[in-house]
Amino acid sequence: MKKNYFLLFWLFISSGLLAQEPLINSRLQGKVVDSRTQEPVIGATVQISGVTHAVQTDLDGNFFFQTGQKFPYHLIVSFVGYKKKQVTAEASPILISLEEENQLLSELVVIGYGAVQKKDLTGAVGSVSDEYIKSTNTSLERALQGSVAGVNVTQTSGQPGGGVSIRVRGGSSIQGGNEPLYVIDGFPVYNSSVSSGVVSGAATNPLASLNPSDIESITVLKDASSTAIYGSRGANGVVIITTKKGKANETKVSYDFSYGLQSVRKKLDLLDARGFARLRNDALYDTNPSKGRYQYLAEEQIATLGKGTDWQEEAFNTAPVQNHQLSFSGGTRQLRYLVSGNYFNQDGIIRNTGFDRYALRVNLHSDISSKFRVGLNLSGARTDSDIAPSGIVSALISMPPTATIYEPDGSYTLRNPFENIFSNPIAALNERKNQSVSYRVLGTVNGEYDLSEHLTAKVLFGTDLTEGRDNSYLPASIYEGYSVGGEARRGFSSVFNWLNENTLTYTRSFSNRHFLSALAGYTQQSSQRQFVTTGAQQFINDVTTDNSLQSGNVPLTPTSGDSEWTLHSYLGRGNYNFASRYFVTASFRADGSSRFGKNNKWGYFPSAALAWQISNEEFFEAYSRQINTLKLRASYGSTGNQEIGEYQSLSTLTSVKYLFGDQIVTGFTPARIANNNLSWEQTNQFDLGLDLGFLANRLLFTVDLYRKVTRNLLLDVQIPYTTGHTSSLQNYGSVQNQGVELGLNTDFEKGRFGWTGNFNIAFNRNKVLEIGNDARFYTFGNYIVEVGKPLGSFYGAVTDGILQENEIDEKGKYTGNAIPKAGDRLYKDLNNDGAFTTAADRTNIGNALPDFTFGFNNSFQYGNFDLSVLLQGSYGNKILNSNAQTLELFNGQQNASVTANERWTPENPGTTIPRAKLDPAPVFSDRYVEDGSYLRFRNIALGYTLPKSWVSKTTLSSVRFRLVGQNLFTFTRYSGFDPEVTNGTTISPGTDAGIYPVAKTVSAEIGILF
Amino acid sequence: MKKFLTFSIGLAAIACNSLDESPKAVIVSDTFYKTEKDADAAVIAIYNALNSAQHTLYNRLMQIGTEMATDDYEAGPRARNAHVRALSNLTHDASNDRMLELWRQSYDGINRANIAIEKIGENPSLDPARAGILVNEAKFLRALLYFNLVRWFGGVPLVTQETTSLTPENIYVSNATESEVYALIEQDLKDAEGLPAPSVGGRIGRATSGTAKSLLSKVYLTQKKWKEAADKSKEVIDSKWYDLFENFADVYATSQKNGKEHILSAQFKGLSNWNGNMLAGSSAPTDIPGISGDYADALHREGLLFESFEEKDKRKYVTFGVHYTSPVDGKVYTTHPHFRKYFDETVPASPYESSKNTPIIRFAEILLIYSEALNELNGGPTPEAYDAIDRVRARAGIAALKESQPGLNQAAFREAVFEERRKELVFEYQRWFDLARRGSDYYVTKLKAAGKGNAQPRHIHFPIPQRELDLNPNLKQIPAWQ
Repeated sequence: MKKNYFLLFWLFISSGLLAQEPLINSRLQGKVVDSRTQEPVIGATVQISGVTHAVQTDLDGNFFFQTGQKFPYHLIVSFVGYKKKQVTAEASPILISLEEENQLLSELVVIGYGAVQKKDLTGAVGSVSDEYIKSTNTSLERALQGSVAGVNVTQTSGQPGGGVSIRVRGGSSIQGGNEPLYVIDGFPVYNSSVSSGVVSGAATNPLASLNPSDIESITVLKDASSTAIYGSRGANGVVIITTKKGKANETKVSYDFSYGLQSVRKKLDLLDARGFARLRNDALYDTNPSKGRYQYLAEEQIATLGKGTDWQEEAFNTAPVQNHQLSFSGGTRQLRYLVSGNYFNQDGIIRNTGFDRYALRVNLHSDISSKFRVGLNLSGARTDSDIAPSGIVSALISMPPTATIYEPDGSYTLRNPFENIFSNPIAALNERKNQSVSYRVLGTVNGEYDLSEHLTAKVLFGTDLTEGRDNSYLPASIYEGYSVGGEARRGFSSVFNWLNENTLTYTRSFSNRHFLSALAGYTQQSSQRQFVTTGAQQFINDVTTDNSLQSGNVPLTPTSGDSEWTLHSYLGRGNYNFASRYFVTASFRADGSSRFGKNNKWGYFPSAALAWQISNEEFFEAYSRQINTLKLRASYGSTGNQEIGEYQSLSTLTSVKYLFGDQIVTGFTPARIANNNLSWEQTNQFDLGLDLGFLANRLLFTVDLYRKVTRNLLLDVQIPYTTGHTSSLQNYGSVQNQGVELGLNTDFEKGRFGWTGNFNIAFNRNKVLEIGNDARFYTFGNYIVEVGKPLGSFYGAVTDGILQENEIDEKGKYTGNAIPKAGDRLYKDLNNDGAFTTAADRTNIGNALPDFTFGFNNSFQYGNFDLSVLLQGSYGNKILNSNAQTLELFNGQQNASVTANERWTPENPGTTIPRAKLDPAPVFSDRYVEDGSYLRFRNIALGYTLPKSWVSKTTLSSVRFRLVGQNLFTFTRYSGFDPEVTNGTTISPGTDAGIYPVAKTVSAEIGILF
Repeated sequence: MKKFLTFSIGLAAIACNSLDESPKAVIVSDTFYKTEKDADAAVIAIYNALNSAQHTLYNRLMQIGTEMATDDYEAGPRARNAHVRALSNLTHDASNDRMLELWRQSYDGINRANIAIEKIGENPSLDPARAGILVNEAKFLRALLYFNLVRWFGGVPLVTQETTSLTPENIYVSNATESEVYALIEQDLKDAEGLPAPSVGGRIGRATSGTAKSLLSKVYLTQKKWKEAADKSKEVIDSKWYDLFENFADVYATSQKNGKEHILSAQFKGLSNWNGNMLAGSSAPTDIPGISGDYADALHREGLLFESFEEKDKRKYVTFGVHYTSPVDGKVYTTHPHFRKYFDETVPASPYESSKNTPIIRFAEILLIYSEALNELNGGPTPEAYDAIDRVRARAGIAALKESQPGLNQAAFREAVFEERRKELVFEYQRWFDLARRGSDYYVTKLKAAGKGNAQPRHIHFPIPQRELDLNPNLKQIPAWQ
């Protein structure tokens, strides 16, 4: 009704304005809509054929003519992204539906605090295509893997529900956070774990609590023009996630089920019991030759050993994974709904590990009046994780095969029987309780009110509530709990994060050629985290585990904590375009953050972007048949990073204990020196982009060049210990990332055959520009941070063959051993001081960052069949194979790689593998830096949809089957479990040290639409 | 529309949280050091720097960070840390991380002491008498930490105030001379002599005037100030505050903690919310069913310490264990000698949970200091010198020196005192200090005799950690280590 009043009003005004028109033979009122969505097409040009009279459609797609022409006459309706249409106007009113020219350019892209059509973008923004979103039901970040140029996704653990590391255009912070900001239905969240620290092992991934099946779209904001609106949190890129909504008059009930089996890609080749016994004999003999060659076992005993315990075989198993998704959606124009429920259950490929998710979602959207709209997006989830305790994988590969899982009396073998201490991993997997349970409610409500035709006010409230519970029990029957008679611990943590956003949006077009939209707003977000841990030791038996702490004889000191942060922000953005040819975007955000020093609470983040749609120029018309789109983009802006945790600028005190006699007393000591000037990391980024469209824009090509420089890095600057402190958090140093991203999208259809393709490739080059204090470099374990070199550089020795019997005097000093012996590994004396020492002779021996990463997705439809193939890969990155280093110690105290069979012996001098030795000094060298390049078939899915003619006889409306293979084929030269491995930090990426390997999966799916 | 706007603006205003951080769970330095309890907590924090969790100064770090470089100890098979093994083999250098820890933890404690001295001393609202005690206690602890540092690293930077800003003049502190460091130690200990006497009571586990005097006598002795050392140790002996336990085993008995012989001890309590004595677990055997020891802090057999004990010496099988009863099968197993001083028989299955204290200074040592000082002061042993050492020997159940070896010359008596110190104080973080203060010839001779062929004159100091040299341009390495 209201709409009609509005129309009348509009009519009245218009007729007033046009009252001077001499001859009025007809009045034509009409509306232009999208043929597919029936949504109004805004700004379409409607021209009467043969005359110059043209008008533009308004915000509701309406247009109005008063003309001297008499019905019938021809109208030409055109709009960028739609096929030009000629219709005959017989009478008023008229409804004109335009067909999209193609899907690729007209899709709406969700950006920060708004949405634009892809063709109007001025920044570098990547949309994740449906195929990728559909390819995951574990966690949404997996959908990003290989989907968008410049977004590099690596799993940090194969633990079900485990973590993921994401770098958008390279890592720029050395010690601050590097993960992107996620904005879920308008709510900004970081993917930081809320664990209370009670459980051991890889951190669980909080985003795994969100059900990927609910996701409608994912957009990745990459350049400063699109991320600066997120100010102090935009520097690492922003991932915007929108969940599905119900559509009016489209009632849908769907059920999807999938069941799969997962297994480890490969096991490491290790010695069996016989090989190990011989190695141990050699190592013992090497140290103490006087006791003979068979100090461990005689050859006759070895012959009876067999293979011994295969610890990997005992731990790795084929594990099921299943997903159930039920959703209802639909509604009326006034109220649209989507309700969904999800159960996901994944067992780990390591026994007794796993992840369960129970998730519910309600999304409601209502048009209360033509001016007032409200929306609700609410999700709740519970996740349960059984986590592999840290060190399990290392123990699995290191346990000697001659050791047994059980002692002869049936009790567990506690630990490695030899000198190297690690506990029985199978006992830990079987008996140890290491669980994490989380509850999460994430919801936003918003109201939008049209203050006038052009001005809309929006208020949004949101909250993200997380409750975590950690349960741990170390039974007395295993080594970890043996000495303390069983240890039970519980941890509770909760995060209350709330958000309020108030924005005004102004949209207007002038003279049909000037399009203006502007946004201004004030937002505030605040978060409070609390935790409690408690526990007890010395239990009579292991029956009650962590459920009865009072049954333990010794209570453990409880701990609790509280931390809070607050962010206040003012933001604004203006978009202007002239005739869809010249586009200007400018944005600004001012952020006040509690996390920084009292002298530096506020930061300011401006950006600007220009775009030129050359293909809309008149002069270009001559080429427009060949080239449908040609657009140049340029942007520059500033963003920040504030991910350092709370209270880092204050001189806070740490509580410590001491014992006087029998009385425990508490003391306090400063944890750090105050820094009132602590501020954000600031990233300035320049981006230059080109978009090209061919073949009626069915082939789209995008290229972006960028350079981003991050200054004032938040660095824990090392200071002399004489200050009483180790380091001080300072703004120091700078890092640069620059690169090229290419994207190619296709969308073809011919008869029963359809093909969509997406190829992207990104080259990023990282460089440390400055690390403060005039330092040129500093080392960090096996890594070096060096000015002029990329982060993630390995720092180690260079191997130089094996010392032979006759070379001991001449070359013995290049072994690094006090008493060199033939069979020792030789290293290069890089500083030419006549000896090798690990202190002086290490160098940069490779880098963990890839030369390029790429993704290639092809989806084919033929009739009722569809096939989707997702390839993804990384080239040029190196992996520090720490597992291999451990497995080549050859000390006879722990198991070793099969390369031990080629080890140096007097009988086998011509080898590159050193001798067995009881007491080797581990030296990190280039031997353990491996090529980590890989090409992976991340997802292959073959689908079949039952013909409509069959389904229509039932109550169902569609039935679809899919066979899916994930990570089925991986091509790599890397010798470890899996090349997709990182420990997740920017300073030390690409180390494979006992990481839970990524699984490969085969599954079957059925999707039913009622 | 207006209502809507008013509503939203109203909400925005209500919800506003401040950008100023006011943590609820942690205390900020500016608001602390106000009350007597705050002041006490600042002093307790210094004790915490002496020994707390594993590998803190008096909870094993001094064993693996210094004592390994002597003739009595070696890195056992389960000592996997390459830095510890290097120290045991005397192939350590300035990059050794154990030395770095000695340095770091000592200066951490010194910073805590400086803060306590400054903040408590400057606070007019505290009871002056009570504040004076706490300041003197902090000075005692600062002296103890500097006394260790100066013996390990020579002329170390002398920091006597809290570092509150990172300007170069604040953080690039140059080396002091050894005598400057000793001057501060002596002054701090003289001030600490003003602490309450041990007889006052209520100071279990804490420093007293007796503790300060005892340590001062040792500081004098180390500097070869024989007269002062003899006088100060005599003052402690004559005070009758302390005495020897009759039974040597009582020195380590959990029932006798902080008893009459203990002047200051590192405090442990296993299976509680405090820490067990790590030395107990790290020295316990690995080959007895049910005892999960680590045999990492091992006896260096070639040093012949075990053999040097007479069989009747009551200290021998308190110090060493060769028979252990398995908590699993109840059988008694015989093994090679392991250090047993801190092995807690009540928790055989979890030796790291030992509740036995490690003495930092005890009365037997005061007697030996007195004996040594008199011998040096008088060009040979006086009867009092004999008496003092013989009190220690008598308790051990071995012959008095004045009967078995009367009329020793100065050098022979000196050697007898050092051998007595070695046996009496073994596994109490004393041997390296004793060897080093005798000078490089003595040190090298003793180590080579024990088969540690890599010993060199420079080993009477540890190299100043490379990290510190890299970060502080004004800091210079010890010349012998350059």
